[in-house]
Amino acid sequence: MSYDRPQELLKPVKRRFITLTFALALMMELLPLPVGSTRWLPDFVGLLILYWAINQPRRIGIGMGFLIGLVVDVSTNSLFGQHALAYSVTTYLVMLRQRQLVMFNLGQQALVVLTLMLANQLIMALARLALGSAFVGAGYFLPPLMGALLWPLLTKLLLLPYRHHTL
Amino acid sequence: MNFANTPRFSNQGLRPGSQLLLCTLTSLALLVGDSQFGLMDRTRDALSVVLYPIQRAVNMPMAAAAHIGEFFITQTALKQENAALRSRELAQSARLARLTSLEQEVQQLKALNSLRTDSLRAGQLGEVLYTARDPFSYKIIIDKGLDAGLAAGLPVVDERGLVGQVTRVQPLTAEVTLIIDKNQMVPVVNQRTGQRSLLYGYGGGVEVRYLPAAADIQQGDLLVTSGIDGLYSEGIPVARVTRVDRPAGASFARVLCQSIAGVQSSRYMLVLPPRAAMPPRPAPAPQPAKPKKKKDTEDEG
Repeated sequence: MSYDRPQELLKPVKRRFITLTFALALMMELLPLPVGSTRWLPDFVGLLILYWAINQPRRIGIGMGFLIGLVVDVSTNSLFGQHALAYSVTTYLVMLRQRQLVMFNLGQQALVVLTLMLANQLIMALARLALGSAFVGAGYFLPPLMGALLWPLLTKLLLLPYRHHTL
Repeated sequence: MNFANTPRFSNQGLRPGSQLLLCTLTSLALLVGDSQFGLMDRTRDALSVVLYPIQRAVNMPMAAAAHIGEFFITQTALKQENAALRSRELAQSARLARLTSLEQEVQQLKALNSLRTDSLRAGQLGEVLYTARDPFSYKIIIDKGLDAGLAAGLPVVDERGLVGQVTRVQPLTAEVTLIIDKNQMVPVVNQRTGQRSLLYGYGGGVEVRYLPAAADIQQGDLLVTSGIDGLYSEGIPVARVTRVDRPAGASFARVLCQSIAGVQSSRYMLVLPPRAAMPPRPAPAPQPAKPKKKKDTEDEG
């Protein structure tokens, strides 16, 4: 639990930094990666939205999740509104329990993130099935697992610029 | 960890519940509007132009790496490749000579029959910019668009066979739907028997549907485009039959196929030019007058 961990004092997060992280994640989406890799590569934008919604709920809320989802829809060439729907639902779920989620340690958070990312994929799959696409197989639910495994690393990385380096 | 986690002291804006409702309704409207009515195509076009430079920039390191890799190719590899190509050229030139004479013959015959001939014209060479990350759609984006005179509906081939069809054209890029996409159909003809059928994509592969169980089709048959749809020119290899099941009791055979072209692996593709206009369809036969009285009585009963 985080009660026995010393709470760190961190510098305030700049809006520029949040924008930069999303820009990098979108560029990852546009990278011409080999065909097979998209089967296990996690949805970085989805992870970032969860991270900022948990840690900066006043900056990234449901509306921002929706807007970023629209951008992802365009860049991944999927249907308009598909990612937007999934992201706005998951950010809402985060908002319901946000005070609890920030108190969790990384392992517990990773479990929650796994569930939320699975919810993301489920919503998108249901939307696509309802609109007449074929189901792509159970492998579609592998990326959330990778995302949850990467969660601790992502958190540490995103905290780096906000630690006071006083040595 | 709970930095900047100060609670909200005053209620600003909508409550989360109503925000969610608003966003959900908007996205559902967008989903239905986009998939069923194609309302968002304009927006997509505009955004794709904005995204194009970013795509190019992101592609650049990969392209540079590929160039450097090509530069440092060994001489033995080059020599081997050269020898292989030379032997292939010899083999092909003999075939080509035969083909040209055959082509002449066919053209004469067609002219005799006053049929329209499809002269082979050069297409537009396109490079795959990226494959959409969306696993539900089997589509790729190529780097030619309206600027190269592409139009929706044009067939796309690689060096081996049919890859797909241009479905959306944007100012600088175009979207190609692969033949393995669920909503994609190709009219094909079995090269061995001449039987026409329809090749359906099912999302990840292709199969021939609605072929009678007794139809003459076997493993290894080559399916080529039939050219009777007015879209694809005839004779482009599409798929090879890998398995034929004739389940007892079913009226249709189950025919699984393997696409010939590197549908998901080719980097360069050729967009073929549109075909010459087909002769117009004959006027439909007049509908027989419906017995109106009978329907009225049915409605009442």
